[in-house]
Amino acid sequence: MIEFQNVTYNHQKDVGVNNLSFSIPENDFTFLIGPTGSGKTTLMRLIYFDLFPQSGIVRAGDYSSNNIKKRKIPYARRDIGMVFQNYQLLEDRNVYDNIALPLHVLGFPAKEITERVEECIDLVKLDGKEKLNPTQLSGGEQQRASLARAIVKDPSILLADEPTGNLDPVSAFELVKLLQEIHETGTTILMASHNYNLIKGRGYRIMELQNGHLRGNG
Amino acid sequence: MDQLFFLISEGFKNVWRHKATSFTAVFTLYVTLIIVGLFMVGGENIHKIIQYVRSKYKVEVFYEQNVSDLQAKVIAEKIRKIRGVRSATVIEKKDAVNIFRDQFGEDIFDVLGYNPLPASTVVNFNRNSAKRLKFNAIIEEIKSMDGVDVVRHQGILVNKLERYYQKLLANFPFVSGLIVLIAVLVIYNTVKLSVYSRRKLIYSMQLIGATKSFIKMPFVFEGLLMGGLSTLLVYPSMLGFIRGSNFLIQSVAHLKISLSVDPFLWLWLAGLAAIISILGSYRAISSILK
Repeated sequence: MIEFQNVTYNHQKDVGVNNLSFSIPENDFTFLIGPTGSGKTTLMRLIYFDLFPQSGIVRAGDYSSNNIKKRKIPYARRDIGMVFQNYQLLEDRNVYDNIALPLHVLGFPAKEITERVEECIDLVKLDGKEKLNPTQLSGGEQQRASLARAIVKDPSILLADEPTGNLDPVSAFELVKLLQEIHETGTTILMASHNYNLIKGRGYRIMELQNGHLRGNG
Repeated sequence: MDQLFFLISEGFKNVWRHKATSFTAVFTLYVTLIIVGLFMVGGENIHKIIQYVRSKYKVEVFYEQNVSDLQAKVIAEKIRKIRGVRSATVIEKKDAVNIFRDQFGEDIFDVLGYNPLPASTVVNFNRNSAKRLKFNAIIEEIKSMDGVDVVRHQGILVNKLERYYQKLLANFPFVSGLIVLIAVLVIYNTVKLSVYSRRKLIYSMQLIGATKSFIKMPFVFEGLLMGGLSTLLVYPSMLGFIRGSNFLIQSVAHLKISLSVDPFLWLWLAGLAAIISILGSYRAISSILK
């Protein structure tokens, strides 16, 4: 579960978020929309404890911003998968190694890592491309590899920050479809986007941010 | 166990993945270690060189005409007791005649009808002292002895050499300390740059949920490997340098000096490379992870 209680965070120059209160229950799929600079990324960063609220409390899973110790942040992030607009794939290793990395961090045995990575590659339809370097993939493929890396550890929360921002309409549509499939396995998903046409009519909850304020929530 | 294997292999793979920065780091380490190593070899062999030079110092003491061979031996004994003198060999009057004959091919008795050559003594000096040889004081003491006529020596040259040697000995700890310090800074900064170039990897690892120690470990293993690689390159280069120098010294300069290297120097260099590269990696990654 994700919960914000009167959360405010302001950047020195840009708008952050102002007095946000909402909660996203387990197994929910929520879209977060708003124009560029409305505070979507700040909200995401608050959830994975990359930022801490200047006032209010953020809860994500079993961890809370008001009492989490610095050394516990890595453990909080282990239950959160993240997908970014710019993919954040490591260009010094191939697709397989990128996807396997979180499992090495979590200390999975080698055999299980192979099984899980292959399963994810299959799910995101990157079969045959596992030995390629991320730079050899198209934008859509890179984002799918990024998604595979986010879900390989089977997180209970998946945060997708503008995952379709750099994709063509077909790839963007396929990615949202993939996210829906992942949601059906019981993962809580929060996806930020400024493309309303892509998310409307899917029957999921939509929250709207503007200048750091929550305008619509339902 | 799988995780430890991953961390070690990741460290080693990183060297290959980032060939350009790894090559720069290894090369810088190599050059720095070579400079440190050569300086250490120089320090180790400088005493050997001064010993050889001192063995070539020679002072000839010529006695007055009226000094007999027996009296010459008594004076030589006094000379031998002077601090810094290693030996004093008496050349009797008749030996002087033989030397004259060897050098000029004529018997001085046939030329002059008598032997005008005085008895003399050849003085050699202690070679092992690390202290400056007080050459002038020794010469003055010999000159002041009764029966001594002329003392022939290479005083200016010897004094110069001894002065340089003393300066070198006095400054060696300071200069070697400075060179090691520069080496440490160069290696540390090279490793630091190599770590900084991978900030994205570090950030990604943090997002995935890697602990600080997990992120640091591959960099430490990578530092260790780079230290090992550069040390492996340093060994043959140093051996080649020492052998080449010995060839030049013995075959070209015809000096009977052979440079040697203490086996512990290898261990010392390997240790230095390992410690600096590991600490450099660790500190660099720690400063990014703050």
